[in-house]
Amino acid sequence: MSTRKLEPFTVVSVIGVSLAVLACAVPFWMIISGSFTSETQLATTGYSFFPDFDFTAYKMIFTGPAVLNAYLASLFITFVGTALSLAVTSGLSWVIARRIPGISRPLTIYSYLPMLFSGGLVPLYLLVTQYLHLQNSYFAVILPLLVMPFLVFVQVSAFRQLPESIFESAKIDGAGELRIFFTIALPLSKPILAVVGLFYAVHYWNDWFMALLFIDDVHKFPLPLVLQNLISNISFTAMLPQLAEAATPVYQLRLALTTVAIGPILLAYPFAQRYFVKGITLGATKG
Amino acid sequence: MAARKGWVVGLLALPAVVFFLVFNYLPMAGLVVAFKEFDVNLGIFDSPWNGLENFTYFLESGDAARILFNTLFLNVLFLGATLAAGIILAIMLNEIRSTFFKRASQSVVFFPYFVSPVVISIILQVLLAGASGGGGAVNDALSGFGFPAVDWYTEPGPWPWILTVVKIWQLGGYLSVIFLAAITGIPEEVYEAGMIDGASRAQMAWRITLPLLKPTAAVLLVLGVGRIFYGDFGTIYAIIGDNGTLFDNTDVIDTYVFRALRQLGDFGTTAAIGLFQSVVGFILVVIAVLIQRKYSKETSIL
Repeated sequence: MSTRKLEPFTVVSVIGVSLAVLACAVPFWMIISGSFTSETQLATTGYSFFPDFDFTAYKMIFTGPAVLNAYLASLFITFVGTALSLAVTSGLSWVIARRIPGISRPLTIYSYLPMLFSGGLVPLYLLVTQYLHLQNSYFAVILPLLVMPFLVFVQVSAFRQLPESIFESAKIDGAGELRIFFTIALPLSKPILAVVGLFYAVHYWNDWFMALLFIDDVHKFPLPLVLQNLISNISFTAMLPQLAEAATPVYQLRLALTTVAIGPILLAYPFAQRYFVKGITLGATKG
Repeated sequence: MAARKGWVVGLLALPAVVFFLVFNYLPMAGLVVAFKEFDVNLGIFDSPWNGLENFTYFLESGDAARILFNTLFLNVLFLGATLAAGIILAIMLNEIRSTFFKRASQSVVFFPYFVSPVVISIILQVLLAGASGGGGAVNDALSGFGFPAVDWYTEPGPWPWILTVVKIWQLGGYLSVIFLAAITGIPEEVYEAGMIDGASRAQMAWRITLPLLKPTAAVLLVLGVGRIFYGDFGTIYAIIGDNGTLFDNTDVIDTYVFRALRQLGDFGTTAAIGLFQSVVGFILVVIAVLIQRKYSKETSIL
């Protein structure tokens, strides 16, 4: 392919992809550079691509407990949620992947049926608030999101790619089914566990809907909910410490908080991205 | 494998079984609320029955036609546009020879998939409203070309298209990864044969790559049709919120149910709408799967 001549279609493609790249990157750059632009300049000259390094908003964020608490809340939801989700998903996927007569097939149907038909928002809301009494608990955010069917697909197909012969020989050596799972299958599946774990982690880190539904206590808000409140309700800035010299820089503050919220994803992304691609392609071919 | 041993392994699935029971199957039973005059103090099962009153109330409220139309219209728009964007992007990425540029651009276009809807909402505000309300980058560009500025957040007309652009931005890169994987799976000989016949790159994309992407697109389409009555609530609500001026064109079943639930506390009616949503969604997905199965047996998802 290396000797082919440059055709118009290739040129069009390069331009098209470049435009797509710009469309995806520029908004983030605007947010980040805007977060370093002073409120007065934002109001007069608008957003600029080259910031003037004004740190007012970041000072406000990092001197008060509100954002720190939100960060801790999001971290708790993400870590505990991901660990629980991984454990539950792995167990389920292993049993499905083993094709055990009389168990695997019904279990598959049982697990995929909720994808097709669900009770909807109201029964879930009643369940969590009236029966489980989980309002204002982070488990109200974690538990409804515990299993993502797409990731079960991914794990099942990954488990099925492990060589059966290893399990056979382990069995001959006297290993039980549980032992095979914990000491052979799981260690061999570390890459796929990383994939699935990353998907869950992003899912939990970004969730705001479950938090919106079930967390009413402002002091327990995870990061996305603090952001959302800052959009819809300027008075939320009252929770942040006031700086003596000026009025609250509402817009700059929004942008700074947004930057803080995407920060961890932005930092982890270069390392995590190849795993995501692997996960999607595994899920797509089998899904 | 002996049956007894089978049950021991089965224990590994127990947490998941309990999870589905509590968070998926129990709420299905909770749908009886749709037929009840729900009273928080009495609970789901002791509240008095009221037949189909919740359903008729909703249908006669005048909101039904609008939100049903919006839900279907927006979701069809989203599904078609994102699939098309994913395919086009994948084909264009496939044309790129520099491995570095290809990888780097794939990483960038994939990134929006990983940010919270709330972040997307803020980006949209930056573009459409700016810091001082009337501004925003889009208006700056418009005035640069001599067009009048638009006060986007009070103008319902363009919102279906704005939301569609948002969905393309959010999902285009993600879908292109799936399609690019499918393109990689196409045997090289097919293209070599095309080259011998003197096909241009454009012709090969149009006549070879595109038709061979059909099965992948079909699977994604079926999965999408199943969710057509749900849409992506988080994104729409994060962007529109309680901005009533935009409801005419953006209010969908999920956002309506959420507002009714949180603001009016009307459990019966909202459960009725939810039940309606689930039933129609279920019927749609079954039809979609049957149609897809008829045309390509091997890529069927069931």
